[in-house]
Amino acid sequence: MSAGFLDIDCVKYACTCGLLKTLQQLYFCRYCSELRCTFCVSHEVDSHFCGKCCENLPSAEARVKKNRCVNCFICPSCRQELSTRAASKQPANPEESKATKRTYYLSCLCCRWSSRDIGLPDQTAATGSWPKRESIHSNRIQEIVSMYKGLQEKEKLDKEFFKKKQKEKIISYTDKTGITAAALRKRIGLPEDKPILKPKNAVKIVTPSKADENIDDFDEEVLTKSINLLEITSIDQRLLQPDVQPKEISNIFPIQKILSIKRSLRCRRCEHNVSKPEYNPNSIKFKIQLFAYYHIPEVRIVTVEPLRAGQACELILKFTNPTQHQTTVSFLPFDSPIEVKEAIPEEGAISQEDSLEELDKSSLTPSKKKSSSGTKLMSLVDTHITLTTSRSSARALSPRSIAESINCTVDIPSSTFILPPRDDAAEYDDFNEVHNIQDDKKLVVWRKSNKAYIKLVVTPNEDMPIDTTVTTGFTMSHLYTNTIASVADNKKPQKFNHNMRVILKLGKSVGLN
Amino acid sequence: MSDITLPRNNIKITTGALVCEDSKLRGDITIGKDTIVHPMATIIAESAPIIIGENCLIEEQAKIVYRVPFDRVEDKDNIPPLIIGSFNVFEVGCHVEAAKIGDSNVFESKCFVGNKVSVSNGCTIGAGCQLTNEQELKENIIVYGEKCQMREGLSKPLPQYSQMETLMKILPSYHHIKKPTQKTK
Ligand SMILES: [Zn+2]
Ligand SMILES: [Zn+2]
Ligand SMILES: [Zn+2]
Ligand SMILES: [Zn+2]
Repeated sequence: MSAGFLDIDCVKYACTCGLLKTLQQLYFCRYCSELRCTFCVSHEVDSHFCGKCCENLPSAEARVKKNRCVNCFICPSCRQELSTRAASKQPANPEESKATKRTYYLSCLCCRWSSRDIGLPDQTAATGSWPKRESIHSNRIQEIVSMYKGLQEKEKLDKEFFKKKQKEKIISYTDKTGITAAALRKRIGLPEDKPILKPKNAVKIVTPSKADENIDDFDEEVLTKSINLLEITSIDQRLLQPDVQPKEISNIFPIQKILSIKRSLRCRRCEHNVSKPEYNPNSIKFKIQLFAYYHIPEVRIVTVEPLRAGQACELILKFTNPTQHQTTVSFLPFDSPIEVKEAIPEEGAISQEDSLEELDKSSLTPSKKKSSSGTKLMSLVDTHITLTTSRSSARALSPRSIAESINCTVDIPSSTFILPPRDDAAEYDDFNEVHNIQDDKKLVVWRKSNKAYIKLVVTPNEDMPIDTTVTTGFTMSHLYTNTIASVADNKKPQKFNHNMRVILKLGKSVGLN
Repeated sequence: MSDITLPRNNIKITTGALVCEDSKLRGDITIGKDTIVHPMATIIAESAPIIIGENCLIEEQAKIVYRVPFDRVEDKDNIPPLIIGSFNVFEVGCHVEAAKIGDSNVFESKCFVGNKVSVSNGCTIGAGCQLTNEQELKENIIVYGEKCQMREGLSKPLPQYSQMETLMKILPSYHHIKKPTQKTK
């Protein structure tokens, strides 16, 4: 997804769903206080727009226009956007009119293809007048589509009819007792229920296509004639126009630009947005943008000593606090259960929490335990679903186990360390170096503003062959300050420990010196 | 490259050409009428003289290098001069070592044309395209895209008269200009 310079995949965080992602790819739902990735949020289309002319289209209109912009075209030769060029044409008869006529043609700035290349006449209006090429199959496709729509409708009606008929059958037995609604109706003199009619078979079945008996003779020129690559289209160009699939380069035609979408991402459990863009296509900003990068301390590998099987070596990590609140980070073993804190307690929250805790215990532990807990997991998911609110229950996904085997142990330090809040001004302030944080000197090597360099001791497994990728991990626990409740209820911000698993790829193991 | 001794500088600038002082010109180079050489453009006539035609535009960081043609390594002393035609555009950061360059070609930004390539007339080498294999570009060939796809253009790229005119006016007011050494015939 994102491919920024920060997006380095040697440090990965385990999302609540169990997938491993870099911090830049994760979201953080502030209401659930959980990590969310693109696989465990629901994606919703907010708006359709054209990436070239930035026109916003309502989704119904976009559907009618087949998700394509009316005014913008892309180059059939190289897929770049075509730009409209003006050309002035001298009138044939100079006395006719003195003003030169302006005509327009489409031109590609990348491969210099232009609408003149295929002999398309220049247009007098800059937009809107470009001829559309109808596919010869469009009628047939329309017929088939409407047939299937009809069939779908019919199936639905048939089902309803069947259901009603079933009901009728049951009634007909009870009718004899004389106490049914129908009997009552008769007695009071109301008109009888309309008899249920079997829906008519109104679907017009399209004549199926038939294989043609007459096949063109094999053109031997295909084998003998040398081909001019400049005249035929590439596979890419051919598939760009699937309805026509032109073979010759002279048959390619400007393609209407496909619309882009703006999408918002919604947490599946609490239905709050974790990302919502601004509606205006010109804006690249977000209304809501809960990236984990703004909430979770960032871990980066600074240095690691040569990794030798069975030998302890020093690993320096850099921790950065992105939030405006001081946090305390501590380490827990990788396998330690992660308890889920509910930020906003609801009815049944206690039991829910318990079940979630159980859930995480069984599902988020490394893969070796996976098989034994598989069935247990399923039942727990069920209980979890029934406990969550009904509207979101259907969308909740069951977490999967982390697909990464750890082959290196970390000596979990017992002490914790503090990360001061982020201060944007600190970077420009040279005198702001004094801090009176009492650090465990064995743990914290060096610190500056909201960053700290932490020393850990890791030991790759004894039986590891040379040149194996060394993967280690731990559970990071940090004090998270949730400001949402405080804004709403004027309370103090809630503080609690948020735990997540961090997996580090330290590099290849080397042999003994 | 240390074993190659560059020939003595012998720069001939025709009247009407605009060659900035900050450009790097090495070897025997003739620059035609109305040709513009931007500051920081590099032209190196390593093996034989380079003769640049009229109305060419050589932009900043463009590099034109004439090395010993790959098929003439034995016969070093008898190398014909590189004649670059008229109306060629060498855009910012291009690197051209082609053995033959005709008229009305455009070398877009950051493209690379190796010394095994010969360019005829009206060709466009797209931005970032790397042409290194031995080949001859036919007339009006356009090379574009990551994979150096080729297509045949309808016509030659049009000369950029208005831009050249503007540059002719603007460049002398901000840069030192080399004095022309030859009168137009
Ligand atoms: Zn996830
Ligand atoms: Zn558009
Ligand atoms: Zn194109
Ligand atoms: Zn949520």
